[in-house]
Amino acid sequence: MKQPDAIVIGAGVVGSACALGLAKAGLKVVVLDRGPVSGGTTGAGEGNILVSDKEPGPELTLAIRSRNAWFEIADEIGAGFELEAKGGIVVARTQVGATALSHLAKRQQRAGVQAHELDRSALHQLEPYLDPSIDFGFHYPADAQCQPMLSAAQMLKALRSMGGEVITGAAVRAIHTKDSAISQVVTEKEKYSTEIVINATGTWAGEIAQMAGSYLPIAPRRGFILVSAPAPNLIRHKVYDADYVANVASDSTDLQSSAVVEGTKSGTILIGASRERVGFKSDFDVSILRILARQAISLFPILASVQLMRAYRGFRPFAPDHLPVIGEDGKIKGLWHAAGHEGAGIGLAPATAEIIVGQVLAREVFMDASPFSPRRFIQESAP
Amino acid sequence: MITVVGAGPAGLAAALSAANAGESVELIESGARLGGQYWRNLPNSIVVDQQALNHDFQSGKVLREKVQAHPNITVLLNTQVWRASHEEGISILHTISGGTTREIRTNKLILATGAYDRTLPFPGWDIPGVMTPGGVQALLKGNNVKAGKKIVIAGTGPFLLPVATGLAKYGVDVVGLFEANRLRRWIWQLPALLNNISAIKEGASYLHTLRKFKVRVQRGYAVVEAHSGSDGNLSAVTVARVKSDFSVIEGSQRKVVCDVAAIGWGFTADLSLAGNLGLMQQVSLLDGGTYVVVDEHQGTSQAGIFAAGEITGIGGSKLSLAEGEIAGSAAAGSETNTSKKRKLAKFASALLRTYPVGPNWQSWLKPETTICRCEEVTLEIIEKSVLDLGATDSRTVKLFTRCGMGMCQGRICGRSVNDVVARISGKPASDADRVSSAARPIASPILLGELAQIPIVD
Repeated sequence: MKQPDAIVIGAGVVGSACALGLAKAGLKVVVLDRGPVSGGTTGAGEGNILVSDKEPGPELTLAIRSRNAWFEIADEIGAGFELEAKGGIVVARTQVGATALSHLAKRQQRAGVQAHELDRSALHQLEPYLDPSIDFGFHYPADAQCQPMLSAAQMLKALRSMGGEVITGAAVRAIHTKDSAISQVVTEKEKYSTEIVINATGTWAGEIAQMAGSYLPIAPRRGFILVSAPAPNLIRHKVYDADYVANVASDSTDLQSSAVVEGTKSGTILIGASRERVGFKSDFDVSILRILARQAISLFPILASVQLMRAYRGFRPFAPDHLPVIGEDGKIKGLWHAAGHEGAGIGLAPATAEIIVGQVLAREVFMDASPFSPRRFIQESAP
Repeated sequence: MITVVGAGPAGLAAALSAANAGESVELIESGARLGGQYWRNLPNSIVVDQQALNHDFQSGKVLREKVQAHPNITVLLNTQVWRASHEEGISILHTISGGTTREIRTNKLILATGAYDRTLPFPGWDIPGVMTPGGVQALLKGNNVKAGKKIVIAGTGPFLLPVATGLAKYGVDVVGLFEANRLRRWIWQLPALLNNISAIKEGASYLHTLRKFKVRVQRGYAVVEAHSGSDGNLSAVTVARVKSDFSVIEGSQRKVVCDVAAIGWGFTADLSLAGNLGLMQQVSLLDGGTYVVVDEHQGTSQAGIFAAGEITGIGGSKLSLAEGEIAGSAAAGSETNTSKKRKLAKFASALLRTYPVGPNWQSWLKPETTICRCEEVTLEIIEKSVLDLGATDSRTVKLFTRCGMGMCQGRICGRSVNDVVARISGKPASDADRVSSAARPIASPILLGELAQIPIVD
């Protein structure tokens, strides 16, 4: 039986970051995934590394650290994953929206986020094809972008070079505990004896928790991304409507959508961020595609004459309180969760890993991570 | 009401048999005229000898006229289905025609979306002037345009003959006709091939015509590299003698000067809508292509959806007609006669066995050879994504390298990427991986402005 120091379940971006962090701390790590590398939500993400869309509070603290950590990781592993400090532009179209946005930006500034108010001319200088009627917005230079699938793959490559192991196509069948502590992980092919399991399985994190005899209320939320035919140089930042901020924290199951529009290096334009809580149903509803198209055109009228080439869909994992779940399980010792980032997992992965590594090794971490602790669900699970 | 998508041989036959059974039929075709790729024909304003371009032109004309004149059939030309879905027995087709979108709901759908040339990547295949036989023929049949002055035709399959014949008749200099498979394969399949005397006769007549133009079929040869001239366009191709697995016999390479090379390796089914509708698909052991699974009466895995023609397996126009007729009758709830189809299917299988694509076409590739043209992804980049980054299947390779994410959405490279990844990883591509490389939620591009204007239907 193999005896790694830690098993990371999930070869997405969060699992990869955690595995790399643990390996750097000297642990012998095995990463298991039932599918391929980046095969789940990571493979259906836009690669957003945003600070602009977070309310001041623990998640923003996490986002600010994570954004910088991404650039440190890129330097450290010396490999490309298309990391780019593209910058975000948030616009408001109504007086109410503008007031809310100004208020949010000021509070974010106090938390250490760079946010510059933009008047009409400044806005249109940054984004020449923006709807001429839009005259108010904020520029967030720290908002960044990476290629999520490559990010995970490059981190796992670095992990392998440090002696770590990545085993894909290996679904975990059982997680055994002894006196409420992790003792063994079983896949179809292999048994592993270990005391540490990192659950980085995103939308499936609840199943893994259950397998270990615990409980985690993570549910999937559907999100679509439209990809246009190549139309280079039309859009230069990540641009979105202020409604988006309200939407992430929404409890509604109705579709609320505010498109995030951005150009990419390959020339395609991505239109994303519809969020809908519909379980794992995978249909591409034309009405959702239509709403995204409308919102994108309302920001950039020129997009009306650009072709939609492809669309993809991902399931974003979220917890009832919309906060990520990072920390040790409330019932099972040695089971650590790193999940539930709800469409922000790419951006939040490196700082999530720092919290996990710090807590596993009982070291100090950069923030008080107790708001993310899975222990907050213990009450819920009590019979 | 029965809805038929695609007005090639299968779709036309399906529409007609359903209409003859008393059903009203809506026939949707993305092109400007009925006939599909096979009976691609010129607008009436251009007067040429259509018969010279298509051996089978007359029967197509008769069928088109019957469909056009049938009181039960409504024809929607220039109408693209850009997205489809299926729920609880109802198929929903989202169409776009001249900027107008429409939603068609139907509980009887016949899918006959056909196939397109299968291409294989090789060094220089992205040079302007390297085309497909279907592309060259479409220019001639649909636009009355000769693709080049000195044309090489190569690849494998019976389709090379009519293309070469049409070009020769039109005064194009066919400087070489290279069939990669040898004659002995033909002899092995002879009993099954003799089942269809008319097709054999058709082949013989092409060969006869080609002889008149001094064009000889050179069997066991393949175009393994293309070269560009100073203007960047095709100037010559390297032709080599190949073994039955398509590996090159060293020393046999020679250059052939040409300005167009039409190279095709059989056909790939257009499964975009089949995928949208969730139809069960499977990889054929005969040619490695992915096809819609159908029962004897062309019924698919979804209630009320039938499929006919090349999307159910490559078999040519005659088999497509037979399948279309069955699908039309079955959708209308009438009796079907499947004996003709069974006979033709045997012949089609024998043809596919006669013209296989040898796995060692991959030995023609160089590290810097482009595999995905739209996104300019080379063999080297794909190799790295597997060996270096740990990709284990084509989908992951696509996510890492962008291959198949460009304008063609993997229509051209998808199948080759499956094969290349399988060779590099040493793991055969799973059926699921092959099916997923043809999954296109947006079946054909639509303007965002058109999409935004779709009315809300509740």
